[in-house]
Amino acid sequence: MRRRTFVSVAGGSLAALSGCLGNGGENGNGNGGNGDSTDTRDATETEDGGTATPVEDPTITIATYDSFVDGEDPVGPWLKSEFEAEYDATVEFRTPSSGINQYIQRAQQGAEIDVDLYVGLNVDELIRIDEQLDSALFDSLDGEIDGSDRVRDELRFDPDGRAIPYDTGYISLVYDEREVTPKTFEDLTDSENAGELIVQNAQQSDPGVAFLLWTIHEFGADGYLDYWSDLQDNDVRVLGSWDDAYNAYLNEEASMVVSYSTDQVYYGDQPRHQVGFLNDQGYAQPEGMARFADAPNPDAARELMEFMLRPDVQGVIAQKNVQFPAVADADLDEEFDAVAHVPPEPVTFGYDELAGNLDGWIEAWARQIVG
Amino acid sequence: MRRRPRLSELPVLVAAVATAVLLAVMLYYPVASVLAGAVLVDGRPTLEPIRSIVTDSFYLRLFRFTAYQALLSTIASLALGLPGAYLLSRYEFPGRRTIRSLTLVPFVLPSIMVAVGFAAMFGTGGPLNRALAAFGLPPIELLFTLKIIVLAHAFYNAPLVVRVVAAAWETVDARTVETARSLGASPRRAFLDVVVPQLLPAALTSALLIFIFTFMSFPIVLALGGLQLATVEVWLYDRITSLRLDEAAALAVIEAAITLGLTYAYLRYETAQAASRSVARRTRKRLFGTLDLDRIAIGAYGIVVLVVFLGPIVSMLLASVTSVSGGITLEHYELLFARRETVVGTRPDLAIWNSLVFAVGTLALAVPMGVVLSMLTARDTLTARVVGTLAMVPFAVSGIVVGLGLLQTVVFGVDVFGYRVQVTGAVAIVAAHAVGAYPFVVRTVAPALASMDDRLVESARALGASRTRALVDVELPLVMPAVAAGAAFAFAISIGEFNSTIVLVEGGDAYTMPVAVERYLADRTLGPATAMGSVLLVVTSVSFVVIERVGAYGGIE
Repeated sequence: MRRRTFVSVAGGSLAALSGCLGNGGENGNGNGGNGDSTDTRDATETEDGGTATPVEDPTITIATYDSFVDGEDPVGPWLKSEFEAEYDATVEFRTPSSGINQYIQRAQQGAEIDVDLYVGLNVDELIRIDEQLDSALFDSLDGEIDGSDRVRDELRFDPDGRAIPYDTGYISLVYDEREVTPKTFEDLTDSENAGELIVQNAQQSDPGVAFLLWTIHEFGADGYLDYWSDLQDNDVRVLGSWDDAYNAYLNEEASMVVSYSTDQVYYGDQPRHQVGFLNDQGYAQPEGMARFADAPNPDAARELMEFMLRPDVQGVIAQKNVQFPAVADADLDEEFDAVAHVPPEPVTFGYDELAGNLDGWIEAWARQIVG
Repeated sequence: MRRRPRLSELPVLVAAVATAVLLAVMLYYPVASVLAGAVLVDGRPTLEPIRSIVTDSFYLRLFRFTAYQALLSTIASLALGLPGAYLLSRYEFPGRRTIRSLTLVPFVLPSIMVAVGFAAMFGTGGPLNRALAAFGLPPIELLFTLKIIVLAHAFYNAPLVVRVVAAAWETVDARTVETARSLGASPRRAFLDVVVPQLLPAALTSALLIFIFTFMSFPIVLALGGLQLATVEVWLYDRITSLRLDEAAALAVIEAAITLGLTYAYLRYETAQAASRSVARRTRKRLFGTLDLDRIAIGAYGIVVLVVFLGPIVSMLLASVTSVSGGITLEHYELLFARRETVVGTRPDLAIWNSLVFAVGTLALAVPMGVVLSMLTARDTLTARVVGTLAMVPFAVSGIVVGLGLLQTVVFGVDVFGYRVQVTGAVAIVAAHAVGAYPFVVRTVAPALASMDDRLVESARALGASRTRALVDVELPLVMPAVAAGAAFAFAISIGEFNSTIVLVEGGDAYTMPVAVERYLADRTLGPATAMGSVLLVVTSVSFVVIERVGAYGGIE
């Protein structure tokens, strides 16, 4: 797809090609490049004899994770068709398997990024970006996005205003009430529940790292390893990804698994799909969107971000992505409200608490688990 | 071992140079760019990253455990595979050749799919435990233990034993056995003294390959055992995803040193064992005859095969036609094929098409590369062994490192004389698949070349044939069964390849069937993933049977 766009631009005119290269290679912060890229597109489309109006149909490229676009009734295709119907723009998706690492490494190697938006950013990834890169990967958009002031304060996780939350999940337990009734962290280390808990590997899984952070929130940086030692004595299972863990749970290998508090949206109020908030808590894990500093279509990307924060769109994002909206005034189905549970006391760590600590916490934990 | 003719003629030379260039661009340079991190910090040479690993008791334990599980897995694969090799090479029965072709199937099943199949089959409430319960036996807790990892490794690798050892068994010279028998040796004695020495190289070849594969095992360990049973490769993957690339590089260097050392030792052994011989085939016994001890043992083996091989596969097939409520349904397949119209998301028809196109491309590249390298390495000289060892780098270096190396160099783009050279999409994937597949061609063709009677080539040369002509008219037809086996391997590797493909796809349109399976698994239900996995299974099974039959040589027949 990208190649086709590039060829059509290059075929349009040599001047357009040089403009394009200059834009990609030299432009550090993106904002100065807006005019250039718009000009380039105009020149090409006019020569193609295409559209009458000068600024038309930019292609917004979104990098995101698989399940945002793939699966049963995912949110991505809906977002694409709704946005394209209202705006003169095309939306395309990329789903790099290495996630944000793809773009960190591209930035490190001086390779072209050529994507406008990253959708699905969380706080640990933001910290990794800041540790790995000296230059800005994303724009600071404080105050530039209409409607971003409606985002719930407790979900904002970027002190620099680059990542705008668009939804949030709450990490909780999913359990089989016929077998167990976990209410507190201590219940998990109770010998009665030995071998009944499956968690994800915090080295590579979002819910895995969220659950680890939840235990650190509860027991402190000095105490969490002792708690995990008790969990290990109680035969906890640390599997790779959410898929691995949840598939094992569906195969009835254990009666508790770390997952999301929206589990009943899929399964309804079943005995095997009870949501457990340990100590009445749930670990909040907001997801954000951010615009690349080198975005080829910064204005269109901003419009898409604003679109994603509209109350009606927020409601659909939440339902299709099976998460909670980021704004307080989202239009949500009552049905969804009834089956998606919010923890009485959401807890989370902010950017400042995690920066400089996160890597060490995970490393010490993983070494203890491997033994 | 005799000297082999020099490789001085133009066509051979061109092929050798082309192979070398492709290896340099698609393998050595990308891998070196990653491994450099182990010995260079800020551009200065250092041993610090490696030193910090070898002095860390955590890492010593990690390596020890990795080697231990690889050893167990190798033994299990041999135990499961050797009877199969015996059965296929010594008995005649309907469908024998088809079963032979199907021994490649485990190679193409995505490991995550296998993990799901194993969990379904051997899990707490799985068919195995239900069957045990029906006989009043206590359940076996296999999941999350070393046992199930070893069993899954055996599932993957026993077919390799079957294939390689059966090929050797078929070339055991009937006359040597008859001679031993006529000199008064019992069947057992003749087997131990005459047959076993001739099988040993093949058995050790497969054992060594399996040790190396399972030493670097990753998705199986993660999905079935969890972090508690982590291997070096699991840890290496984490170093890369957390972008601690220096530590990853150092780890990969140590891992590669171990596996390359094993490869070199094996090559020394293999060439020392190879001998010129011509073969009188032994006739096969009919499987269905009077019931004797042999046939009872074969029956018992058949039951084990049903449980270990068919169990997980059938579990996957069943999951693909089972609805959430437990009934039989075709909805997952309907959903899969309704997706052809979607603009975003992963289209199954495109995944199937890509897989087949890439596999054909891989055949076209890997088979000539493998044959050229076999010629270069089929001699018993130090140079040949070093070249042979270097040619085996794809076995020894972690697939994750190869993927990362490709990504950071040719995919992101490399500055060459002021131009940014970039390889993306299908071309890069085919090249990467070929790099992963040619060692299998080498490993099947080189022993065949080495054990060929040199006098044949010498006669052809003496009669005036050029070196190329002798190769094309004499040597290749004689080793064609091995080439066909290598080609089938190359095809299988390409269809099943996952690690470098998913890196190179970059979320674009060049995804393959295994990538599609992985993407569908991101969804909450197993349905579409198992449906895609079943399509993958059918497409590839049919392809192998066709390749081996239509290949005009019918495998090693």
